[in-house]
Amino acid sequence: MIHVLLEILQVIFIIGVSPLIQGIVKRTKAILQGRQGPSVWQPYYDLHKYLNKDEVLSIHASWLFLITPYVVFVTMIAVVAMIPVFITHTLLSFTGQLMLVVYLFGLSRFFTALAGIDTGSSFGAMGSSRDMFVSALAEPVLFITLLAIALPMKTTNLTLITSRAVTGHSPLLSPTFYLAFLAFLILVITETGRIPIDNPDTHLELTMIHEGMILEYSGKRLGLMMWSAWIKQAIMFTLLLDFCFPWGISLVVHGSMLIASFIMVFLKLTVIAIVIAFVEMSYAKIRFFRIPRLLSAAFALSIISILTNFLL
Amino acid sequence: MKISRIIVAPHELIHACRTVIANHGRFITMVASDECGREIDRFVVRYIFAHDGKSMLNVVESVLTESNCSYPTLSSMIPAASWAEREAHDLFGIFPEGHPDLRPLVLHDDWPEGVYPLRKDYALREKQERDSFSSWSYPKVEGEGVFEVPVGPIHAGVIEPGHFRFQVMGDSVLHLEAKLFYTHRGIEKRSEGMSVVKGLYLAERICGVCSVSHALSYVQAIEQISETRVPERAIFLRVLFAELERLYNHVGDIGNMCAGIGYAYAVNHGAHLKEQLMQLNDFIVGHRFLRGSIALGGVTEDITEEKLRYIETTLERVKKEFNEIVEQILSHDIVVNRFSNTGILSERIARELSTVGPTARASNYDIDVRRDLPYAAYDQLVFEVPTFMEGDVMARFKQRFLEARQSFQIIEQVINRTPKGDIRVPIGDLIPYSFGIGMTESPRGENVHFVMVGENNTIYRYRVRSAPYANWPAVPICVPGNIIPDFPLINKSFELCYACCDR
Repeated sequence: MIHVLLEILQVIFIIGVSPLIQGIVKRTKAILQGRQGPSVWQPYYDLHKYLNKDEVLSIHASWLFLITPYVVFVTMIAVVAMIPVFITHTLLSFTGQLMLVVYLFGLSRFFTALAGIDTGSSFGAMGSSRDMFVSALAEPVLFITLLAIALPMKTTNLTLITSRAVTGHSPLLSPTFYLAFLAFLILVITETGRIPIDNPDTHLELTMIHEGMILEYSGKRLGLMMWSAWIKQAIMFTLLLDFCFPWGISLVVHGSMLIASFIMVFLKLTVIAIVIAFVEMSYAKIRFFRIPRLLSAAFALSIISILTNFLL
Repeated sequence: MKISRIIVAPHELIHACRTVIANHGRFITMVASDECGREIDRFVVRYIFAHDGKSMLNVVESVLTESNCSYPTLSSMIPAASWAEREAHDLFGIFPEGHPDLRPLVLHDDWPEGVYPLRKDYALREKQERDSFSSWSYPKVEGEGVFEVPVGPIHAGVIEPGHFRFQVMGDSVLHLEAKLFYTHRGIEKRSEGMSVVKGLYLAERICGVCSVSHALSYVQAIEQISETRVPERAIFLRVLFAELERLYNHVGDIGNMCAGIGYAYAVNHGAHLKEQLMQLNDFIVGHRFLRGSIALGGVTEDITEEKLRYIETTLERVKKEFNEIVEQILSHDIVVNRFSNTGILSERIARELSTVGPTARASNYDIDVRRDLPYAAYDQLVFEVPTFMEGDVMARFKQRFLEARQSFQIIEQVINRTPKGDIRVPIGDLIPYSFGIGMTESPRGENVHFVMVGENNTIYRYRVRSAPYANWPAVPICVPGNIIPDFPLINKSFELCYACCDR
């Protein structure tokens, strides 16, 4: 019983803390730019605003446009239910979980892209077409990278991967770890739509990818789309922590250990958010047709990681 | 500056202009006017050419009667004349025979046909019923996989209105059509009958960021008519204001270009430097955009020795920071990759379209009014005019950087060499129906003001050929072959103003 409660708490934690992570990234970027920037709580105010606002819907919008935010949001919650945050146990746990994560991301992306085209706005369609271009490359790379991580653990069950990572030898000694870590970092940036792939802060419609697809949304649905994007970001960060820096994640249900692990996870998420802000600040957006190169670098890294795993 | 006039019959226009061009005349613009008020039947077209380095302008004039107000087009010989002839067609109803593209330019398709607002018999506040269902015609690309992307006139950022039609294949642009003049305010019509003193305030408000340059062009045109000799101290101070304007624009634009590629570090540091320069402007003349600094016959306010020293120390600080930031930007390999070979304007097109300013110079078209047709105190100062061969975004970026560095030097010379004395002289009465042409180099290129005065020191006809007006036609030509996400960057690298193009 206590397990289930904790597992539900884990899901609520990620959903609840995801706007804060976004806030930390934004605030850090502002400080690095020499600005004061909005408070780290701003995404919560935004969310509150969107969820209480009226919507403006295009007369061309079909049911697809209307249900997409719910599909995307529910998909993200389903993924959250599968990833260990501060205990290794999760609500959903089975072999092949890792594959399902990739496909659930694919599902949400599929619906978002269709919704972008649905209203007939040229910016939405441009965003969708670009997102499909990027994801056609990013998805297989994500697959291979996850495989590179799963291989040394000899399972595709996330609970097992994490618990083996916690108990096993320090991964810092293995070259497999560094290669897979770099590949995964590139994917985190791609999947969260950040510079140098996409620019989440731009107002230039012509350069948008993710923002272009959700340009026609307003009010509650926009709120849900934004929240889903933040949750996805929190998921990617948590996965990075689970795979590469799992220290402190609690294996058993024990009072003081849980509190320690909770604090650790929170600190680690903050650090990752700050690191991502630094990465974003030190780069500019790369030329659109150069994105494949970056992703093929991630691909090559994961392949080498898999090979070293067999060789060493 | 000397103006030599060549008056010919309409059918001799082409021949006369060809002769002027053969004598190294550089086409500047065409000014049409309705001169029925001075007993001329009725329209006059004036093609203006500059002789760089000789301080001389050629004006080829021809009178068109009301019964037969058509003339042979020069656009096929001088592509740069196309816009001016289309504009005259819209506003005066005079017809350039054989013009390759006579679609409406200034007044959009919703304007009723046969109504010409710049004719003298059109009342200033006369309203017209607009036909909002009229369609806009433009060339289209057809074929499988070709799509059209309409953008604007309202954009997501707080910027001026312009409509762009991209014909694309995937993300690659095949053709771009730009529709401007959404902010046509009828400034030229409004000025008619205004006293020349009031006209200066209007000139300053043509554009926000080139206030000094527009004001200076205007007062130079008037001073040319009245043959006023502006005091030495005033011409040096004019240079000071003009260069301060160039500086805050170039520094701001350099940061702003990086916004096109999401390089936030450069954007914010550029904005920070621009702010320091604008606060300096505010401190010395009491206006962040330097408005109200130029007066007819001189400048409005003297700059004390103390203020000059303050300018010196501030600029010293800004210059150091500016160099550091540009070095940082240019050593970033993503920036270099995005800027290089993007939006190339070839030298041939830059010349044919008579582009001006940093845009022209970055495409190896070496023109600069400050050196070629010197005004104010520029002939007494030492400076270089940098140029680049490439004509891409990178060249325009570096062009602004090098020009800003020259501006720092020019200001330094002005601070140390400004003589003592008067800052203003009265301009006296103006001979009715004489005209003057004022030219200055704004941060975006040469601003040309044609002013013809009427009776009692009023304006009879005022025509502004701003730098963006000359450069806008080049933008849609540079874009095909690039991808849509590069358009904001290309557009920012030209940094053209809509308001002073539309007037």
